[in-house]
Amino acid sequence: MWTVLRLLLPALIPSWRFFRSVEASPRIQWTFAENHPGDPTIWREFRPRPDRVSPLETLVRLFWNPVWNETLFLVSCAERIEDTSDPHAIAEIRHRVVTGLRRSGEATSDQPVRFRIVFVDWQNGKRHERIAFESDPSSVTRRDAA
Amino acid sequence: MTLDEAIRATEILLALAFLQSSLEHMALHREDRSLFLPRLALSALLLAGFEPGLMIWGLFLHALVLLHRYQGPYNGGSDKMGLLILFCLSMAHLAPSDLWREMALGYLAVQVVLSYFISGQVKIANPDWRSGRALSDVFLFSAYPVSEGLRALAFRPRLFRTGSWAVMLFEVAFPLALLHPVLLIAALVIAVMFHLANAVLFGLNRFVWIWIASYPSILWLQDRLIGAA
Repeated sequence: MWTVLRLLLPALIPSWRFFRSVEASPRIQWTFAENHPGDPTIWREFRPRPDRVSPLETLVRLFWNPVWNETLFLVSCAERIEDTSDPHAIAEIRHRVVTGLRRSGEATSDQPVRFRIVFVDWQNGKRHERIAFESDPSSVTRRDAA
Repeated sequence: MTLDEAIRATEILLALAFLQSSLEHMALHREDRSLFLPRLALSALLLAGFEPGLMIWGLFLHALVLLHRYQGPYNGGSDKMGLLILFCLSMAHLAPSDLWREMALGYLAVQVVLSYFISGQVKIANPDWRSGRALSDVFLFSAYPVSEGLRALAFRPRLFRTGSWAVMLFEVAFPLALLHPVLLIAALVIAVMFHLANAVLFGLNRFVWIWIASYPSILWLQDRLIGAA
């Protein structure tokens, strides 16, 4: 009850401080949890952005954009993990990464994967990356993909 | 616009926004279908005008379930605005008199005006926004641009300085639009274009529909406060 009230109050008395400042921004990357011995760990960005979006696709996305909206939710979860190591946010990302990878055919349900959160910033004309969180290899299992 | 017309227009636009977002959720995950089916049904009934008070309260209680499920709003500002509209409409339906119904819808209208004014005011106080750097950073490294091609725009400082000032000045000047109905219509048209631009560049499509749902309250408030003067 108190939790819901705590979550509800910012909506009823909003601060409306959209983009007050632009901070380092999270990216979610993933890799297979079980590499062959000696193989380097290759981290791939989860749902990398396309080079461009066509005008027709842009028009459609005005009315139908579920995958992108989920990606924005994952950004919120990543920020929560950075702030409070929120286990709920970790579970949300884990579940949605596994489901997304299985759906895109990048991984099958019997391939455990790990994810990590990298915060990207731009300082003195150079891109900086900081790893903020790395999931346990055992934390992503076949059960999540079911 | 009368109070009743404003409340009904808000209900219709809110129902449409909720139908859109509910269908998006249900398309993505099987477990979300049962979670969002009640919201889909309540929104459809609200759109049809069936027992609007009950439907609004049903939607508000369901929104609390969603808030608990996701431990916060799923889509940040757009979900917060949805909750705020639902709360104000719930209060309007519960209100014992027209005065309290006006208070409920008036609170929504004031918050919508503040949503623009405060956003502009906090930006204008930030030197990075005044120089255009903050907006450039949004394109350069934030998670929001919908394509990598858009990031190249970050290296056009004059474009971003101009763009930043256009956004900030529009936002802080928004309350002045309440002074005249024609001015308010013009400001709302610009506001819709602003939200459309955010949808095109950053994929924030749900903001467009939910903010439009709040506009009848401002149109009513302007008429109530200035139009009657």
